[in-house]
Amino acid sequence: MKLLIAIPSLTQAEKIIRFAEQIAAHAEKPIHLLLVMDDKQNYLISLAEEVIKLAREIMVNQEIITRLKIGETEKEIIQAAKEGDFDLLILGELPTRYLSKMVHGVRTNKVAKAVICPLIVVKGKTRLIRRILLCDSGAGKSSLLSRYTAQLAKTLDGEEEIIVLHVMSQICAGPGVPDRDLLASVDELIEFHAPEGEILSQDMRFLAQPGIRPVPLVRHGLVVDEILDEARKGDYDLIVIGAHQAKDWHRFLLEDFTRQILIHADRPVMIVP
Amino acid sequence: MNESIEADLKQTEPRISHEPEEVTDISLAINEASFPEQRRARWWEHVRIDKIVMFGVSLYLFVMAITLMKAGASGIAPLLSDLFEVSSGANSLGFGWLFAYLIMSGSPVAAAALTFFDAGILDEISTFAMITGSRLGASFIVILIGFIYIVRGRDRETSLSMGTLAFTVTASTYLPGLFLGIFFLKSGFLDSFQLSSGVLLTSVFDVMIEPIADLVAGVFPPWLVFISGIVIISFSFNLFDRCLPQMTLKESHLGWVSRLVYRPVIMFALGAFVTLISMSVSISLSLLVPLSYRGFIRRENVIPYIMGANITTFVDTLLASMLLENQTAFTIVLVEMLCISIISLIILILFYSNYRKITLNFFNWVTDSTRNLVIFLITILIIPLVLLLV
Repeated sequence: MKLLIAIPSLTQAEKIIRFAEQIAAHAEKPIHLLLVMDDKQNYLISLAEEVIKLAREIMVNQEIITRLKIGETEKEIIQAAKEGDFDLLILGELPTRYLSKMVHGVRTNKVAKAVICPLIVVKGKTRLIRRILLCDSGAGKSSLLSRYTAQLAKTLDGEEEIIVLHVMSQICAGPGVPDRDLLASVDELIEFHAPEGEILSQDMRFLAQPGIRPVPLVRHGLVVDEILDEARKGDYDLIVIGAHQAKDWHRFLLEDFTRQILIHADRPVMIVP
Repeated sequence: MNESIEADLKQTEPRISHEPEEVTDISLAINEASFPEQRRARWWEHVRIDKIVMFGVSLYLFVMAITLMKAGASGIAPLLSDLFEVSSGANSLGFGWLFAYLIMSGSPVAAAALTFFDAGILDEISTFAMITGSRLGASFIVILIGFIYIVRGRDRETSLSMGTLAFTVTASTYLPGLFLGIFFLKSGFLDSFQLSSGVLLTSVFDVMIEPIADLVAGVFPPWLVFISGIVIISFSFNLFDRCLPQMTLKESHLGWVSRLVYRPVIMFALGAFVTLISMSVSISLSLLVPLSYRGFIRRENVIPYIMGANITTFVDTLLASMLLENQTAFTIVLVEMLCISIISLIILILFYSNYRKITLNFFNWVTDSTRNLVIFLITILIIPLVLLLV
């Protein structure tokens, strides 16, 4: 796995490097470390040098190629990710002003939309990845999501618990509609071969690998709220979601849940394109 | 180990996909020439003459009903002023609300409010309040149907979901809209928006309706003429509903409505458009069942859909105001539509997320226990009664 670690702000550097270290241990060598700064000032350069030194100390057994770029953060990261044909991009959260968030969406989401490889946004509280919340809507290439998550889990030491969450936000469109599936438990949905049960069954098959303990879960409510609530209550170490798939004019019709989760999540988020 | 990981991660296509696989059914691979070419139906063969006739009849009955209600409204005046003592906006709100409960429809009540205004029984504010009450009462119908399903042993939450949400969204947009509307009507800044094209519309029907309406008004007492107007207008709406295409497919091509989550504004526009055609919120909501996958709709989509539906449902009331040839009546309906649009758009644009959470939390509370459901039902029965009596 060819890994790029992008550090958009020097203040987050240590957190990003320590988080990335657990994945970097099994990644293809060398590890690429990208530091982006918007200003070429001497004190920043010396800070960057300290970050590079810290990275070498933390990832002591890794061969690291470091690059320092001066320019617009998201542009530089997108360009580096595209040029290097990486398999995974780990980056910190790009600071965004509140109004800019409303108008343009988070800058990190811009990167997520532009790059073609999976990426992990390191934010909030970080620690060893042991519990992963895999959110599967069943839309698009749902199986790809579980495949990537399984591969990520393989790169980590020890056993990981992967909770596969499907949020049923549907309600009956009118009185008298058959409601068996809406009232069913996870096991019943799988037993009934309901569409939600089929999604979860497929994910379970992909994740049934040594070192991974997959658990299916269904919650009822608003998609974003339920995911964030489960992430908090379940004390997960990583949230995995699919990238917003809408293209062209569909973008104007569909809600971008990836963006919303990225904004509101208080822990690392992995986005799979 | 690293090499195998790299190989797996670089594989971009999943082995098992949700996409339907291309399967060639050999048994179907027969030369098409073996069968006579299936004739494609011409466009005019899709035209349903019976539906067009039904539409014409429903329109005729609608105009007839408005004419009769207009002629008989004076006969109801003692009922409103002496028996129910409807003398304020609050009384009118309660009266319209209860009236809609009684006849299980909002549109005839809204039309009745306009005829009361035209006859000088109600003033501008009271008419506006009665129309608002009619919509609150109309949204009760879906709850009632859901309640019948509960009595028959169905799940409380699934049976009441649409009804409770429809009522909650209607109440939370119409009640602020009521105050905004009173302000607009008192300030009179929409008075210049008046339409007189009703003259043209009524003149077409004059020849066909006036003689019959005059005959009925001459024979029966005014209150009976008014009631017959209410009965006919309810029947005309019922007939109009039957003109709409029947969605009999289990899952139509529009099943995508329930599968994806749309931006609130998109669902708002869709709800407004569907109701513009169907002219009834309850019909518009019931259309979601055959239009959606398994009869389910996403929570995220349903609230803005109801908001949009709540605006264009006034199209028939707008038509009624034109038929009455009363320009102020037209302004009242226009103010109603404008106020609900403003309130809905403010919610959608500024604090939709919180609004949605509060609405759904309230819905969860109502359906959480039988006690809560009973409290909710009693409250929505008592409030209009209290408003009528204050």
